[in-house]
Amino acid sequence: MFPTQYEDLQIMSHAVIGFPSLEENEKAIAGLAEAGVKLIELQVPFSDPVADGHTLVNACYEALKHGGSVQATLNLATTVCARHPEVTFVLMSYLNPLFRYGLQELFEKASAAGIKGMIVPDWPVEEIEPWLPTLDALGLSPILMVTPNTAAERVEKIAKASRGMIYVVSRMGVTGHETQWGEKFQNYIAEIRKHTDLPLAVGFGVRTAKDLNALTGKAEVAAFCSQYIEWQRDEGSEVAANKMKSIIQEIDSP
Amino acid sequence: MIRSENGYFGEFGGRFVPEILLPALTELEDLFFGLRDDPAFWQEFVTLCQEFSGRPTPLTPLRRLSKQLGGAQIWLKREDLNHSGAHKVNNVLGQGLLVQRMGKQRVIAETGAGQHGLATAIMAARLGLEATIYMGAEDIERQYSNVFWMRQLGSDVVGVTTGAQTLKEALDEALRDWAASVETTHYVLGTACGPAPFPELVSYFQSIISDEIKEQSMRQMGCLPDEIVACVGGGSNAMGAFGAFLEISEVNLVGVEAGGISLEDGKHSIRLSQNTGETGIAQGYKTLFLQNDDGQLGDTHSIAAGLDYVGVSPILAHLSQQGRVIPESATDNEVTEAFSLLMKTEGIIPALESAHGLAGGFKRAKQMKPDQNVVINLSGRGDKDIFTVARAFPQREWTEFLQREAVRSTEALAQKRGH
Repeated sequence: MFPTQYEDLQIMSHAVIGFPSLEENEKAIAGLAEAGVKLIELQVPFSDPVADGHTLVNACYEALKHGGSVQATLNLATTVCARHPEVTFVLMSYLNPLFRYGLQELFEKASAAGIKGMIVPDWPVEEIEPWLPTLDALGLSPILMVTPNTAAERVEKIAKASRGMIYVVSRMGVTGHETQWGEKFQNYIAEIRKHTDLPLAVGFGVRTAKDLNALTGKAEVAAFCSQYIEWQRDEGSEVAANKMKSIIQEIDSP
Repeated sequence: MIRSENGYFGEFGGRFVPEILLPALTELEDLFFGLRDDPAFWQEFVTLCQEFSGRPTPLTPLRRLSKQLGGAQIWLKREDLNHSGAHKVNNVLGQGLLVQRMGKQRVIAETGAGQHGLATAIMAARLGLEATIYMGAEDIERQYSNVFWMRQLGSDVVGVTTGAQTLKEALDEALRDWAASVETTHYVLGTACGPAPFPELVSYFQSIISDEIKEQSMRQMGCLPDEIVACVGGGSNAMGAFGAFLEISEVNLVGVEAGGISLEDGKHSIRLSQNTGETGIAQGYKTLFLQNDDGQLGDTHSIAAGLDYVGVSPILAHLSQQGRVIPESATDNEVTEAFSLLMKTEGIIPALESAHGLAGGFKRAKQMKPDQNVVINLSGRGDKDIFTVARAFPQREWTEFLQREAVRSTEALAQKRGH
């Protein structure tokens, strides 16, 4: 399940479905679960992922050549959700593949597969609100994004529509670059906490053990994604899982 | 001019962007909504277009060609005579006025044929702004002369190497830049697509074209035209040519898309007609996209880089669904024929994008009577297409010249390095 507010830092990592291949996804996810990753995003690859940096753009491009799709993601979700009950699986997708699949049907199937939450970066809160009763009934949590330039009244609105946790985009830009975790960032987190009791998942620029330690005690979840995908791309899923394991062991206890 | 309902035109449009881009779009929308009904602002825009881009552009009768085809009288709205060689500059000058009001110091743009990038580079140079232009690596190869001039004008041209390396990928990359730079940078979107308010805003500035057509046809034909024809890539020149006529049902509005090589997937860019495009949500807006069953955007093809795009203006998708705009298409071969015909009969060198409008317009004019009038929007001039056209009409002396020029160019570079 999702962490509770102020619970110790948990790691969320990533799988792009079809990257490097559908079979490899299963092994990679098992490796992540074994390494102690508590949440995993299952990303539906998309031809035009505008919120992602080059690592995930290229992974999507490869994934599409190797059978990645909405259906493949649902199939994989059914398998891995049953196999790893200790892990919370979150569907990550751009809106169009889901829209084409049919939103109602997609939500039902995702929920039946065991998926607990959804991150859809180009699905604005106004468009999500009408779906909240359906999503609540299915136990599928929309995890909305807050960014450093989001106005206070909008943070309020986003917090109201979010379930499970809120995804805090750490800085301006796309995924895959470094972030500073100084006072400015801490003030930003404090501002968001004024509007919500939900746990916060911080993403964009979480790439090292140092980043994880910086987030310990400040956020409940750290999204460690692009760096992991780079390890997976360059050194294979097994080495990537080992690296993830050692980095999780390096997190200081608060 | 058409107005959206909360950013929507029927079922199309909207604003489907990552949260990070929302404040900039809201700021732009507030500014635009505050100015668009102000006659003084419109006058400021018209004056700028006159002083800098030579507007109004003429409405030219094609007497010889009309007689030869034996149908309606054909007129060209000469957007090719704009400074920078295409209608793109209208929108860019308008957005330049907005940039000045917002006080931003940097602009970014996506470009396909390079005409919008060139217009943006010109505006940035004139206003002293920093500019980064995103262009698919494939399009850079096709339209290198525009790349050359953008760089000479001081803009940074970034080649985009993801996916099919054309306009769609350039737009994605511009959105990524904007997500990081949105507080100091304005995104000069070049066509009537993308998240609200861009479709409405770009159509507003481009409607200067149809305002002029209206006035010029009354003066030169003594009546309004029976039909207006424009090529449709993203849709900005078509929206510009159609805008003032949307409420006048006697005037037919025809949009010509790129038929490419064939109707096979990836070989054309037809989104409005023939049930090729399907409703989707991507690149910040909802429209008819070429896509597969999994919602992945498809590959496109056109001989004209500026029409080689996977989506289409949500306004045109709506108007086409309503039956107000008639969708047509022209194949690469029909386009080179029309290109050649205009050049040889009337002494005008059209852009390959605009030659789609010509191919569609000529075909329709032939079916009409000599007392009828068709206006084709000649959205741009063909100088930029010299290499593509040279390949379509191969000539030994041109190839030999290029070989000599390559040697001269290499020598010049070596000499520069030597100093």
